[in-house]
Amino acid sequence: MYGAPGGGPTVHDPMTLPVDDNVNNYTFCVELKGSQWFLQKGKMIAYYGSIDFNGVGHGRLDRLVRTSFHSPLHASDWVVAEGSGKMLLADRAFDVNSYDLDDGNLTIRSGNLLAFQPSLSLKQSIVPGFLTLIGTGKFVAASNGPVVFMEPPLRVDPQALVGWADCPSPCHHYDHGYLTGVMGGLRALTGLGGASGEEHQFEFVGAGTVLLQSTEILMAEQATGAVPHEPGVPGSGAGAGGHGGPGAQSGAPRLPGQLGDLQRRFGL
Amino acid sequence: MTFREINSKIVEATVVPGQRLYSQRGAMLAYRGEVSFTPNVQGGQGGVMSMIGRRLANEDTPLMTVEGSGTVLFGHGGHHVQVIRLTGDTLYVEADRLLAFEGTLQQGTMFLGSQGGVMGMVRGQISGQGLFTTTLKGQGAVAVMAHGGVFEVPITPQRPVHVDPQAYVAHHGDVRNKLSTALGWRDMVGRGSGEAFQLELSGSGAVFVQASEEKL
Repeated sequence: MYGAPGGGPTVHDPMTLPVDDNVNNYTFCVELKGSQWFLQKGKMIAYYGSIDFNGVGHGRLDRLVRTSFHSPLHASDWVVAEGSGKMLLADRAFDVNSYDLDDGNLTIRSGNLLAFQPSLSLKQSIVPGFLTLIGTGKFVAASNGPVVFMEPPLRVDPQALVGWADCPSPCHHYDHGYLTGVMGGLRALTGLGGASGEEHQFEFVGAGTVLLQSTEILMAEQATGAVPHEPGVPGSGAGAGGHGGPGAQSGAPRLPGQLGDLQRRFGL
Repeated sequence: MTFREINSKIVEATVVPGQRLYSQRGAMLAYRGEVSFTPNVQGGQGGVMSMIGRRLANEDTPLMTVEGSGTVLFGHGGHHVQVIRLTGDTLYVEADRLLAFEGTLQQGTMFLGSQGGVMGMVRGQISGQGLFTTTLKGQGAVAVMAHGGVFEVPITPQRPVHVDPQAYVAHHGDVRNKLSTALGWRDMVGRGSGEAFQLELSGSGAVFVQASEEKL
């Protein structure tokens, strides 16, 4: 992936960028030909061509949102890309992969989903913090380390779970076996010996596929939609090259419930 | 074949009744079958005396015992994982790098001063091993964590290997190691190459080196 032998790094132009495929492990390229894609705010890193990015809630998109976006909770974090060209998606150098659904369903941790085609419809899962995609189409998701696909029956560390497809009954599994009996009671009472850290798992049974990431460290939640507070970004309130700490921020403090937040909530 | 590498960051371990595994606590990602995870008070094998020894040596990484029947996926902190198979010889590794190892291996603690006296202790400070290191001996497999990918460099009597102390992960075999210094006047005036200390390993065996100078 890192260039022809003997040459330097591969230089891509609009012609050589892959179509709806990975550029490398951490970057995905989407081709738009007058079509639309939903993407999470802040995950587009570059684009060629003329592409418009409009927040969910933009009047013209009402029809689209009505048919394929059913999550008011996340409306402020999503935009619709529209136009023609190629855009690159990435998320903090996490591994990025695309998945194809064919009249299927897949539930995924909400922070891991980067983008999806409007032919899929997005819904909030009953499991809090997860989103379900239903229909036919392609979506792009990030994970901390490569994704491993496993078949149930399986028990998964809650932090390592990325998502699941078709599994009828995800549930909690608790295993305190070692806390029973005399020694276990002593252990539970005194706290001596500590815990194994594996008393709680998610259990999957039945037919389906479970997606695991390669580590139990979650991708940190990142506030999207705001200009990042860092040097060199106009309007971020950080000095050009100085070490302006969090206290050295300029401008009026933003209070919750201010108009700006309301606008963001409705995606204006 | 207890451990199977699924990708660079996950190993799959097969657990069969009567054979126990030790693993770092919280390092299980998923499992299949009936497997129990019990926190290990003693932090590994041996009796209470070995536990005290490990506590004193600061090599008492929190471990858990894995028993039952099934398959378990291990991975921790996004670190790269390397499976090392031992056939009777001794592996020297820091305890916090151990992701999982078979119960057939004998765990011990070694004082670095016993290899070269004061220089051994200095070497331990430079390479971040401290004064003690953990040894695993016998027949079995170990899954070791490292920052960045791991590669194995063979050591033969004619060819000693020099390793950056920060990139050193583990070694096994009949290996003598000493700290070689290349301190010159440039280091004194702050214009050194940054490679003043190197670990020189000689003998016959292999050393594992990680593709990063960051410790775990």
